[in-house]
Amino acid sequence: MNLPIPYPDPMPLPAPVWLLRTLLLLTFFLHVLFMNSLLGGAAVALVCCMRRRSSAFSAQLAGDLGRLLPSVFAFTITLGVAPLLFLQVMYGQFLYASSILIGVPWLAIIGMVVLAYYGVYIFSMKNPQQNYKTTAVLALVVVLLASIAFVYSNNFTLMLAPERWLNIYHSHAGGWSLNWSEPSLLPRYLHFVLGALAVSGLGLVAMGLRQQEDGYRQWLIEQGSLLFTGTTLLNFGVGFWFLVKLSGPARLAFVGGNGFATVLLGVGMLLPLAAVAHLIMAKANKSPKRQLVIGVSCGLLTVAAMVVMRDVLRNLALAPYFSPNQLAVAPQWSIILLFVLLFIAGLATLCYMLRKVAIASRMQVAAARKLQ
Amino acid sequence: MNYPVWQLGFPGGLLIAAVAVLHVFISHFAVGGGAYLVLTEHRAYSDNDSELLGYVRHHSKFFALLTVVLGAVTGVGIWFTIGLVSPEATSSLIHTFVWGWAIEWVFFFVEIAAALIYAYHWDTLDRQTHLVIGWIYFVAAWASLVVINGIITYMLTPGRWLETKNFWAGFFNPTYWPSLCIRTAMAVGLAGIFGLVTAMWEPSALRERVVRWAGWWLVLGIASLLPLSRWYFHDFPAYSRGYFSGMYVGLRHAMLGAEVSAGVALLLALLFALLWPRLMSPVVVAVLLFAGMGIMGAGEYAREFSRYPYVINGYIYANDIRAGQVESIAADGVAKTSPWIEGSAGDPRVYGRELFALECGSCHSVDGYRAMRKFARGWDAKFGGEILLHLPVVRETMPPFAGDAHDRAALGGYLASLAPATPSGANERELGQQVFAIHCALCHSIGGPRRPLDLKGTDPDGIAAMLGTLGDINPDMPPFTGTDAEGHALAVYLSNPSSSH
Repeated sequence: MNLPIPYPDPMPLPAPVWLLRTLLLLTFFLHVLFMNSLLGGAAVALVCCMRRRSSAFSAQLAGDLGRLLPSVFAFTITLGVAPLLFLQVMYGQFLYASSILIGVPWLAIIGMVVLAYYGVYIFSMKNPQQNYKTTAVLALVVVLLASIAFVYSNNFTLMLAPERWLNIYHSHAGGWSLNWSEPSLLPRYLHFVLGALAVSGLGLVAMGLRQQEDGYRQWLIEQGSLLFTGTTLLNFGVGFWFLVKLSGPARLAFVGGNGFATVLLGVGMLLPLAAVAHLIMAKANKSPKRQLVIGVSCGLLTVAAMVVMRDVLRNLALAPYFSPNQLAVAPQWSIILLFVLLFIAGLATLCYMLRKVAIASRMQVAAARKLQ
Repeated sequence: MNYPVWQLGFPGGLLIAAVAVLHVFISHFAVGGGAYLVLTEHRAYSDNDSELLGYVRHHSKFFALLTVVLGAVTGVGIWFTIGLVSPEATSSLIHTFVWGWAIEWVFFFVEIAAALIYAYHWDTLDRQTHLVIGWIYFVAAWASLVVINGIITYMLTPGRWLETKNFWAGFFNPTYWPSLCIRTAMAVGLAGIFGLVTAMWEPSALRERVVRWAGWWLVLGIASLLPLSRWYFHDFPAYSRGYFSGMYVGLRHAMLGAEVSAGVALLLALLFALLWPRLMSPVVVAVLLFAGMGIMGAGEYAREFSRYPYVINGYIYANDIRAGQVESIAADGVAKTSPWIEGSAGDPRVYGRELFALECGSCHSVDGYRAMRKFARGWDAKFGGEILLHLPVVRETMPPFAGDAHDRAALGGYLASLAPATPSGANERELGQQVFAIHCALCHSIGGPRRPLDLKGTDPDGIAAMLGTLGDINPDMPPFTGTDAEGHALAVYLSNPSSSH
């Protein structure tokens, strides 16, 4: 069958594939952490808002999340730009084609992001009131974020299925389509959304570890551990469903056909179990900090493993048609060096600013305590 | 050719323009507004002016809400939109400048972090540190402009990049420096305009001081645009400087709009900000905002128009076809080149419509913007096919048609089918006038600026005889495809046109 796969850009790759892939996966990992915290955090904040009358801690957490979410949103977007850039360099011909086929929902992401972003700010600014209006705004934010995630799932599955492109194009050239006929679409989407909730559970545990106030600290750790454990165990089932719905060759690769993919799947299943085990053991421990830190770390490593697994799945799906390794490479070393230097300078500037804020905030808290 | 075409029902270029104008309006404010914030804060400290300091605090919140959210997200929006409308060109830009974008991303990251810290840590940080964060913001924001300016100007004047394909040759291209200066000036002007927006929320005594201060920013920025735009224009490609002679109505209107907007902005700033600041009102500020948007929009339109027929000058045409591919597509035909075309063997009208979407749809619609039903009124299929051979002559802004004879016949037939009309008239002169409108007026005028035809007093039979040999007179002219009677009527009209068109 003749597939309408666009030829890759005639310009050579401006960097070796290993460098582009490393940057893609690294920046995507960071993006996923923030994106999960945003989606999961907004959902948690919504539940807290609804339970604010019956639980003082819920009201307190809604307040804390209201202060955090605008910055989390900002860094979700900022950290999302970089992986999209590196993805376009390596796999642009697939991504552009699939994006055009679902052009309307794909571009609608921009409008949805703006609305959700302002919604988060409204929640953040009106948060002390915590009335039904702010709850409604937050509910809208959660729906918008979940919809954005759904469009992403559609595009990133459609870009791997060129055999479906012509049918979609010839039936709806106006871009009013989604990738409904993809068997793995729903399990993949649910797997990732549940993952986001799980990561936000880890976020609550991390918030708890930084809390001074004992009762609230305990509550945050409990709720966070519960959220992580529940969604992760559920995700084992959804993950299995996702695996079953993958195309034959990709599925086989993960269950023994490809050594790396199989090991990765094994690691990806053991790490969350280790995380759950540590969080449960921490509950029975009088000084649980160490176990909680190990549990959260295992959870974060799970995300890293999933990010790599997602990349492996993409490469397996595209293997019959394309691999970036086929492309000519002409590295622009001078500008790459400049990027590295500026990246280090940028990180140093960021650390400087955050350190200044941290020091000033600590001094402010200390001064307030002195006054009391 | 390489990619499917997003068939929106209107030219995709309009969508890019809508997202881009909104973004550049806010993003230039994001640059100039950074300097405005820190310098105003600095001034408040040195004058020990707590009211002015209160104003900067309010302004910084407004600034963060507008730039960090709408400014940043519409920037990503442009990227999404160009990928949908011009994927070939976007891919090329990404491959050429990925590290430029990566560097811009570093600045973007620092910029967003600094903006949030600056706006939300007035009470946490000491004065000195807060000012430093403000300066970090401004430097990072301006540095993003420094980077992105190289990519935008490259599209208009790629310079030596076309031969060398070297990053730096494309980046520091002929219009890089004037464009950087003009954008920086615009950023200063917009900082003043938005400074006036938030000044309106302040009590009257403070408002007057802020209005005068913001007014200076506005005047300094907008007044600098005049000499800077001359420098910028001087470095435009020679062929596109000709577009500004008045032949293109849209461009003429845009330039007029920019001049009027700048004039209105300077006059209003002079009267209501510098001379009588107490008279500054929200209505005047709203007019200034529109004027700022007018200058920005017109400037971007002029820059994009000057690139025509290309989207990356000399490399990729506005319809996303690579210049180097036109010959091979003409030899092989579109159906063999594009996997997205399905109807080449079926109904020629369906195939023609597909070709229209593929080759014309980025700039033309059937009935809306640059409507082909209007341009192609009365065409016959043969004329439609012939005119496609001469597109860059019909309009210097149009790319050549890429396709073989079969493709031309199909697209020509489709265009002819949009508004079929048989020329008719009460007398031969009137009929001739209509024939002129259909067959000649795309390229010629009578008494107008575009290739004027002056055959007044020439023997009509002589003109009618010439119509059979147009290609010999000038190979850029398509053959006359009307009937003998229409040809004679045209000749009668040309020999004695009573009014100019």
